[in-house]
Formats: sequence, structure tokens, C-alpha cells
Amino acid sequence: MLNTICARIWRGILIMERGREELRGYEQINEKIKRGDAIVMTAEEFIELVEQSGLEKAAKEVDIVTTGTFGAMCSSGAFMNFGHSEPPIKMIRCWLNDVPAYKGLAAVDAYLGAAAMSETRPFEYGGGHVIEDLVSGKEIELRAESYGTDCYPRRSLETTIVLEDLNQAYLYNPRNAYQRYNSATNSSDRILYTYMGTLLPRYGNITFSGSGQLSPLYKDLGLETIGFGTRIFLGGGVGYVVGEGTQHKPQSGFATLAVKGDLKGMSPEYLKGAVFQNYGTTLYVGIGIPIPLINMRVASTAALKDEDIPVDILDYSIPSRDRPIVKKSNYAELKSGRVLIGDKEVPSSPLSSVKVARKIAEVLKKQIENKEFFLQRPIELLPSYREFKPLKIKKREVTVRDLMMPLQELILASPEDEVKKVARLIVEKNIDHIPIISEDGVLIGIVTTWDLTKALAEDKHKLKEIMTRTVITAKEDERVDEVAKRMAQYHISGLPVVDDVMHVKGLITSDDISRKLVGRRAA
Amino acid sequence: MKVKLRYSHEVASKPILAEIILKTGLLINILEAKLTPKEGEMVIDIATQGSALKNALQQLRSSGLEVIELRSLVEVDKGLCISCGACISPCPSKAISFDENLDIEIDAKRCIGCGICVKACPRRAIQLI
Repeated sequence: MLNTICARIWRGILIMERGREELRGYEQINEKIKRGDAIVMTAEEFIELVEQSGLEKAAKEVDIVTTGTFGAMCSSGAFMNFGHSEPPIKMIRCWLNDVPAYKGLAAVDAYLGAAAMSETRPFEYGGGHVIEDLVSGKEIELRAESYGTDCYPRRSLETTIVLEDLNQAYLYNPRNAYQRYNSATNSSDRILYTYMGTLLPRYGNITFSGSGQLSPLYKDLGLETIGFGTRIFLGGGVGYVVGEGTQHKPQSGFATLAVKGDLKGMSPEYLKGAVFQNYGTTLYVGIGIPIPLINMRVASTAALKDEDIPVDILDYSIPSRDRPIVKKSNYAELKSGRVLIGDKEVPSSPLSSVKVARKIAEVLKKQIENKEFFLQRPIELLPSYREFKPLKIKKREVTVRDLMMPLQELILASPEDEVKKVARLIVEKNIDHIPIISEDGVLIGIVTTWDLTKALAEDKHKLKEIMTRTVITAKEDERVDEVAKRMAQYHISGLPVVDDVMHVKGLITSDDISRKLVGRRAA
Repeated sequence: MKVKLRYSHEVASKPILAEIILKTGLLINILEAKLTPKEGEMVIDIATQGSALKNALQQLRSSGLEVIELRSLVEVDKGLCISCGACISPCPSKAISFDENLDIEIDAKRCIGCGICVKACPRRAIQLI
């Protein structure tokens, strides 16, 4: 109770003091920029200075710390206005280079999402690539359809556009620049293709995202200077923070930003379409944010180093919202390229480009020094606390328990059983899969009718000679579609259903799934 | 030195590689092989250099094989690459790393041409040669 009250008061103080300009104010800083004597350092230069002369002195000396990040940000996209054709059209569907854009807006407004994929080249080309091509000045094929109205009679069009043709084209990204991000590995025995890149089996590698000690939001950990209205470097041009990003969770170091900026001022060097194998397309977005050292709290977080920024390494082979933590690490260890998991040295590599992030921080620094970029005090600060709610599935889903053959209808065998005896039982009960259990009831193998046929052909006598020892299993409360996927993946038709201690509870077959599930839907 | 060998119909059934290994005593590692009785292709790594290598390549050629010297098994398009590093840790032979400028560097001696990096690259900047 006391703790909660203390936390509440503490949060109150923080909210009151957050953003207070104690060391210097925005007007003062902009004056210095105008005079050409503002002291600007990149986050990495500032870290070095703090190490040499201490935080106090460094904070007095330096006015602005520049940051940068260049990573895959799927929640990105562009609003566009195409202008009206003659006769005009109320577009209800439209495609840019075969990538569908959202048309639930006025006649010739559209939103193109970075993760939308080309209908003719899916997993190779998507909205992110279209944005890169637009900014590169390339010609884009525009196709649109409509039902025709009295005011907008045209029903279809095909033409080409370039960025300059558009009335407005602005990047509007609902979630960018994660403060930090979890890292990924894979404990399973197969290669995984994820939004965190290629993950080799059995902890074969680790991938991570974010720029660590250059990360804009981590350098202003308390969100004291980055808020609604902050002017930023976005995709090589000028952009603004337009609010908290989706899934903003600052209390755990996962703050995010929604940002906006004019595509016409941007550069393809900092906007790159990308594709994650078997996952989909996305956009690498370059963001740089200047952090004015307005008080000592801001200065102290601007000086945080890679080793001060914690990163959990999660097991992406668990297909769940809550993936287990394999190890608690940090950006310094991850960037070193080698991470110890148990006694195994696992190679690690980034998905975000540290090289480009560093360049963005440099470019932004130069822009400020050259009096081309001035700071904007946020109109409003971002929330310092946000609950991150899961999506509850309220409709009951079909689980293995609903469809499995219960234990009492199964035949269980022992490894010492005779092949012939079991073959006879199979014929009597018309069953295809026989789980094999040890004396204490633990599942240790499985035989199928095919194994028995082979055993008879090869003159084998005991089940232990022919049984499969690595058994793929299911759990009673698993969703049926997960289990069906597993069957397809391993090319098998039946899985023993087990509890946590590998005691057999039942058996589920592809036959059960197709017959009972279809029956259920029909009923 | 990595070398690609092309077997034509005439020589596909002859134990050419075994003969050369026996004759020269060289260590030859087979990295990839696709052989049918009709024709085939093989990528091998010959663990030698200088005149011994020249000699071995000469013998392979005179046995009727087409010999293509591979300087590298993969190629990075620097114009597309954004130096993200997504290809580095998935490489099973640890052939890929950042150089001092944080650019991607592929060690041709370590590369086995498996192609995992090709799929791992978000920019589709890597190609098998």
C-alpha cells in the first residue's frame, strides 16, 4: 500500500517537473544556433565527453545532443492526394505498382501502408518499396476502380504518377522509433523466418533491433523534451512528432512515436523498402531527434551507454504473445557479436543499421551547426504511463480436447510388446496410431500402421525395434489450427495428446480434425 | 581456392576427383555436388595455392572437366545494402562481418555458398554467383 502511494506521489512529482528548463531554455538554445555558437554533439560524442570530464561539466557545456535510428518500422505509410481526373472518379480501390492502398477516405485521398504487399509480387515488393521509389523520383503505376456516382462518373483509371504530380504526399507513421526493443533467438529444431529476421535452430543466432546508445527516445528516457510538436529529422527531411505511437509503453522503456513529415523533402537514402523472408514487406525509416539538455535528468539519460540499456532475448520459437526470456542482455553485449547462452557462444547481429543511425546523428548535428535546423518546444508532453492491453478472444475456440480421441478409446503399448499382437489389436479397433509408454506411464515412442507393415516385411518382432522415439505431441488446451499446422510441418497424421509430465491423455489425428470440425460447423 | 566443376556426359561417370586426390595428395573438400549419370556440377575447395594449385586445376581441365575459378560464392550489391547486419548472425560458417566502417564484408574463404544470407537480406542485396 505504502509503495503504491509512494509511486503515485513520485509519478506526480515527475509529471510536475517533467520538461522543466533548468539548465537552458528553447529560446536561449535557438538564439545560440542563430549566432552559430550552440554546442552540439552526437549522443556518442556526448558519452565520451561525460567519461572524460564528468556529467556535471558536460551538461553545462553541451546544449544539444543529436540521436539517430534507422530500422524496419512496419507501422509506417503515406497519405496522398492524387488530384482529380477528367471526368473525376471516387476511387473505392486503388493500387500503386500493384500494392493496394487504403481507400476508405475521400475520392482521391489514399493511405499506403509500408506492410501492404504487391498483389503480383508478394513478399518481394510492398508499400515500403513504393514509398522509396516515389522519393527516388521514379514513375509509379496508379490503378483505381469505382462504381461511378452522379458527381464522380468515372469507373476506372490507369495512369502513372511521380511524387511531384501529387498535391500532398506525407509520411504519417503511427508507430516509429521504439525506445528499445527485445532481441530474438530460436530454441526449436527448425529455421524460423520472422520479423526479427532469420533465426537458426537450437539457439544458432540472435538478432536485435534499435540503435542502443543512439536511440532518440532512450536518450530522453523520461520523455522530457520529445513530445507533441517536436521538430525532427525524418527520412532525410523535416518531420514532427504528432503524438505517442501505438503500443506506447514508456514505463518499461518501450515508448514509441507517431510522426509526420512531407515526403517531397525526403531522401531515398533514409527511406528504404525492405522484405523479411516469409513475413512480409516493411520500410526502413531514418529518424533523428535533437535533445536539448534542459535539465540534469535529461543530460544523465542522454549519457546512457549501450551497456546501460537492457534488452531481453526472447525465444521466438514459442508462437505466443508471451515469449519466454532466454537471457537478460544489453546493447553492448549484443553489438559485440557474441552472446553467451548457457555455455554456448551465440553469434548476434543487428537488424537496424548502426552505420546509418550514426550518420543521421552526424547530419542532424551539422544541420543545427549550419543554422538550418531549429528546436521546437513540445506543445504537450507524451504520457509517461500507458497500459498495454492484450486482445481478448471472447468467442470460444476449438481446442484439441474437443476433438481428440479420449484415453479409454486408445490402444497404448509397451516397447516390449510383440508386433503381431499389436497388429491384431489395430485391425480389431481400426486405429492407426499406437502411443508407446514406459512402465511409469511416460510417453516414449509411437508406432503407426505403416511402421507395423514395414516390421512384418522386415521380420522385426518387438515394438522397441521399430518405434519412433522422437514423438511430436499436442496439449489438451491447444488450438486445433496450431496442431493442424504442426501435422503439416512434420508430415504426420496423428499426435498423442500429453500433459506436462508426458502422460498420454488422448490422441488427435488429421482425420478427427477434418471430419469432426466440418461436422461441427455444419451443425 | 574454391572451384566450380562442370561434368559433361562423357566424364560424368569417371572418378576424376578421387584420382587427383590420390595422385597429388591434396586436401579437397566438396562443398556442393549435383551429379547425375548424364552430367553434373560440383563446388570444391582445394586447400593449396601457387604452383600446386595451378597444377591441380590443369589436371582437372585435362580430365575433361570445365573448371570455373570462384573468387567468391556470393556477391553484395553495395548500392542496395544498408549495412543493417541482418545477414551476419544467420551465416552458419561465420563468413560475414562488419568491417571497420560498419560495411558488410564476406570472407570468401569461409563462405560455403549455402544461400541463407540471400534470404536473410531485407534489401535483397545478396546474390549467389
